[in-house]
Amino acid sequence: MSSTLRNIVVIVTLTLMVVGLAVVLTVGGFGFSLPPHNVRALATIFLNTTLNLDANYRYVSAMSPEAVTAIVWDYRGLDTLFETSVMFIAIVGALAISRGATEKLLKTSPPVLGMSLITKTITRITIVMILAVGASIALHGHLTPGGGFQGGATIAVVPMLLIIIFSIYLFSKMITIYKAVTLRSVGLIGIALSSFIVLIIAALYGGSAYIFQNQPKLHSHYGLPSYAEPILLGGTLLFFNVFETLAVAFGFAALFILFTIPEDAVKSAIMGEE
Amino acid sequence: MISWILVIIGEILIAVGAICDLIAAIGMNRFPNFFVRLHALTVGTIGGAFVPLIGVALLSLGAEFLGVYRFFMAGASIVSAVLLLFLAPVGSHAIARAAHRSKAATVHPKVVDHLEEDRERGVVV
Repeated sequence: MSSTLRNIVVIVTLTLMVVGLAVVLTVGGFGFSLPPHNVRALATIFLNTTLNLDANYRYVSAMSPEAVTAIVWDYRGLDTLFETSVMFIAIVGALAISRGATEKLLKTSPPVLGMSLITKTITRITIVMILAVGASIALHGHLTPGGGFQGGATIAVVPMLLIIIFSIYLFSKMITIYKAVTLRSVGLIGIALSSFIVLIIAALYGGSAYIFQNQPKLHSHYGLPSYAEPILLGGTLLFFNVFETLAVAFGFAALFILFTIPEDAVKSAIMGEE
Repeated sequence: MISWILVIIGEILIAVGAICDLIAAIGMNRFPNFFVRLHALTVGTIGGAFVPLIGVALLSLGAEFLGVYRFFMAGASIVSAVLLLFLAPVGSHAIARAAHRSKAATVHPKVVDHLEEDRERGVVV
């Protein structure tokens, strides 16, 4: 009897909560009302300056239809560079803590590797799809929602699936930690070069430009092409997205290899000599 | 005419999906052990997600007021449906295999378990 009463109380409470939340959200309580007008004016500024072919806006426009990517890599590119370097330093820290732990210590492999044949077959099909989705998220980052970090994180699912389903013993023969960290460094060097590329071009022509410059600005008329008929290129945004994808995907791959090496194999290497 | 047929078939498939979802939910609550509940779960993923997605594809192909966007909707639904058809059985297969190998799930009202007998005899690893 008491359990029926409890069920009824639970149902009534949940219903009241759902209806109450719906009413409150509809009439705009809890501070969830529409934003005030001055915030919308800021949104208007961003909408006017992200992609504007008008001559008056030519020197303030980022020439990318995707406002988030334009803000992340153009309006506040230096911020994003520091965000990327924070993640790089985290991975360097993880590698430094477990120094000496490499996949070379995996010597004796168990007789049966990975999960069942059904799982392996389907994984072979799906990793191709995941790679395609990740590449499209990254390469269309300046046109549609997405970008380098999102594409790289999507691609990082592939090493995780390969490690879990085909086992670390097979995956570490494909990509070693050293190779993954090297490719990650290539991505970071690419990001650093992309932030200077307009400056380098301007220096070759004897002019001056800003660091992290993408499109021509009022006092420096250099910039990368933003519009090759009929496609939008997005200037440096495309380079940033590609290199960020490389950096994020291989950074995660290195971490996954490092964290899935069995403790028995690397314990003596991590503890070192007394 | 043909669009009406597509819309009606699509709505029937979506209704079938809703019924499958209801059956799966009842089964998840009422079935006695892990493996039978997993069977109810797969009724929910194939019958309750794959079938209505095909229904959505047919429905959006028949909905002419959507203009050219109905082909985008239909394509996205068919791709999601095919992905579900691949991935849902593999997921439940991996869960069931892991549960059976690790003996984490006890099969309580049991008539026969040939796989367990084969494991005990050493035929299957």
